[in-house]
Amino acid sequence: MKAFRNILPPLIPFVAITAAMELLVRGGFIRSYLLPAPSAVFLAIWGNGPELAQAMLKTSASALAGFALSTCTGIAAAVLLSSSRWVQQAFYPYAVFFQTVPVIAIAPLLVIWFGYGMQTVIASAFVVSIFPVIANTLSGILSTDPALRDLFRLYGATPAMTLFKLRFPAALPQIFTGLRVAAGLAVIGAIVGEFIGGGGLGSVVDVARTQQRVDKVFAAVLLASLLGLALFGLINLISGIMLRRWHASEQS
Amino acid sequence: MSTGVALRLEGVRRVFEDSLHNQFAVIAGMDIRIEAGEFLALLGPSGCGKSTLLRMIARLDQPDGGRIVREPEGDRAQTAFVFQDAHLLPWRNVVDNAALPLELMGVAKPERREKALAALGQVNLLEAVDRYPAQLSGGMRMRVSLARALVTEPRLLLLDEPFAALDEITRFHLDVQLRELWRSRRMTVIFVTHSISEAAFLANRAVVMSRRGGAIKLDRIIELPEERTNELRADPRLGQEMKLLLGAIEE
Amino acid sequence: MLRRAFLKVAPALGLLAACGKSAKIRLALDWKPEPEFGGFYAAPFEKHGLDVEILPGGAGTPTVQMVGAGSAEFGIVEADELVLARSKSNPVVGLFTVYQHSPMGIMVHAGRNLTSIGDVLKEGTLAVQQGLPYVKLLEKQYGFAHVRVVPSPGGDLTAFLGDPKFAQQVFITSEPLAARRKGVAVKVFPVADIGYDPYTNVLATSDDTLRKNPEMVKSMVAAVREGWRAYLDDPKTTNEKMHQMNPSMDADTFAEVAEAQKPFIEDDETRKNGLGTMTKARWETLIGQLKDLGDIPMAIPAEECFRQL
Repeated sequence: MKAFRNILPPLIPFVAITAAMELLVRGGFIRSYLLPAPSAVFLAIWGNGPELAQAMLKTSASALAGFALSTCTGIAAAVLLSSSRWVQQAFYPYAVFFQTVPVIAIAPLLVIWFGYGMQTVIASAFVVSIFPVIANTLSGILSTDPALRDLFRLYGATPAMTLFKLRFPAALPQIFTGLRVAAGLAVIGAIVGEFIGGGGLGSVVDVARTQQRVDKVFAAVLLASLLGLALFGLINLISGIMLRRWHASEQS
Repeated sequence: MSTGVALRLEGVRRVFEDSLHNQFAVIAGMDIRIEAGEFLALLGPSGCGKSTLLRMIARLDQPDGGRIVREPEGDRAQTAFVFQDAHLLPWRNVVDNAALPLELMGVAKPERREKALAALGQVNLLEAVDRYPAQLSGGMRMRVSLARALVTEPRLLLLDEPFAALDEITRFHLDVQLRELWRSRRMTVIFVTHSISEAAFLANRAVVMSRRGGAIKLDRIIELPEERTNELRADPRLGQEMKLLLGAIEE
Repeated sequence: MLRRAFLKVAPALGLLAACGKSAKIRLALDWKPEPEFGGFYAAPFEKHGLDVEILPGGAGTPTVQMVGAGSAEFGIVEADELVLARSKSNPVVGLFTVYQHSPMGIMVHAGRNLTSIGDVLKEGTLAVQQGLPYVKLLEKQYGFAHVRVVPSPGGDLTAFLGDPKFAQQVFITSEPLAARRKGVAVKVFPVADIGYDPYTNVLATSDDTLRKNPEMVKSMVAAVREGWRAYLDDPKTTNEKMHQMNPSMDADTFAEVAEAQKPFIEDDETRKNGLGTMTKARWETLIGQLKDLGDIPMAIPAEECFRQL
């Protein structure tokens, strides 16, 4: 009953908008070749089940791999950047630069460097999703409670001890914030990579677009969003488990 | 027999810069001697430099002039600091929090657990050793912080308004507990507080600092019995001491 | 009642939204300004009383939807796109075709010594735009079991130049010239060889525009026809104009491509019936092919797909 109560508020606008769209397209107010009726999208999913399922699996794998890479590399990079002010000042601007380069411009470059195939899609997902991980992890590490830092200093803790016993665990909530953002971005990066490098839901979108099958385009896009949502939910779950005992906000 | 250290502050000076880059001396040359095993309360209005002084004694900050000498000079284990908030590590349980100083000093796990449990016993917190900070009340968290401070058997215990954020009843109880801990160990305690009644209740000696510059307006031995219970709260003698301290602060 | 009123208003609103002044006519291209659009840039629109704005395009510009939605009065589309659109209730109609025959081809390294398009699919990589009908036809005829199919990189030759077993979808009149300039010997297999030959670079408008403004559309076609005549006779000035807008293609290549595309634009058919002419038979063949490939559920009347003005 409680779960139903939680789902009801967001469900209502969804049902309302879907019904409105259906009526508008059926009534001819919106042209079906510009925006498909929700029923058409549903039928497209139903009618292309195996193809979409396989594409979704492929995109999921690439997005997850890219995300895993950016999690590990991003956290490691942030730990390195946190080690000294000089290092931060020298290298952080490049991390920011990484963020601002539009992926659609570098995706063709990625294909040239890594070739056609899943490795390029993973690279694309990685490039797009790494910056929030670095930024949030670094921010978390640098914003440790000064009193606790004093306490560690008082008892003669080495910088390494302070990093691993204090600053890193204290940064976990913020790291998870970064991961939540990175998850969605990894899916986007994978799809863009697939536009250029082939395969997965990106390819389904590209082909369906050429064939003017706008219902299938929306079907693939919807599945991509669901993928992003699923990844987001997974991060939340893991975050809830890991922070269960200690963060007040996680308990509510 | 005291286990505490004695402190000698000679011409201690600390200068800060404000937002307009004007320099001003928070402490402009303080001289004071603190005997081993004294329980000293440090009083004064906000901004008078008492926390700054405490940090310098803890060697978390350095004075800009003068010096602070410890007798005897000792190692890290010697000093403990209790902050205004408990500042526990939320991802560790109570006993692991209490054992933290020993962990940082490289003590082996079984030994430090034993000592942590002992310290927690002293603050009457043994029933909560496996709980996490988020599950504790404010008062319990402060007791963990105290246990953490005691776990290294410090010879110098520094407290910066530790009970200020707690309700009065809890405060009263913790005051008594702290006093008893001091009586059994006789380490040197310096207790910074805003509360005149707390200063009078807890300390053997009260020092009142001036509003600016860290000058000492009053340095008085508190004339109250050695053993202090909460019954003393209603005792007129406490009121007398408080009156004297208040007078020094207000002038 | 309400719906028809809304439908009448909607395109007009689109038109009004886009232009502040009086009837500006927008012609949407599906690629950057290159010789394949030379005649449009050379067309004497003012002489025919038309205020035309040419909107250059790029990768994936949805010209057929733009015309349908009213964000452009005219667009350049391929004949197969047009048939698909009509079958999906987007009534777009063709008026003038630049290329009488499809310049689409598959380019391979000459050193592979391949003799037919089927050979291309025996190994290596094939870069094509995967939703296109000819790709399906190719797969149907030869199968893709032994070749790796990847997305077409547009006009970019980097992958092709770096891999001797790389085959790429091209316009016969364009990329092969660029490859030869880079010193690579190439061979091109026209897609028309497998029997798929739709009209390419077709000037199209919506049924609606045609019905409401037949005189304007007629003038437009006339101007375009004159423009292509002028461009065929002397492409130099127009090439310069287009080169300014699209510096990614150098001036020499502009000249080469303009020359190479001539046989696709002007042939016996056009000499007899005028530049841009189309026949019902060609459209019918195309419609039949698309139905066989499953891209359209049922055949549509060929005469509705085009007008000879």
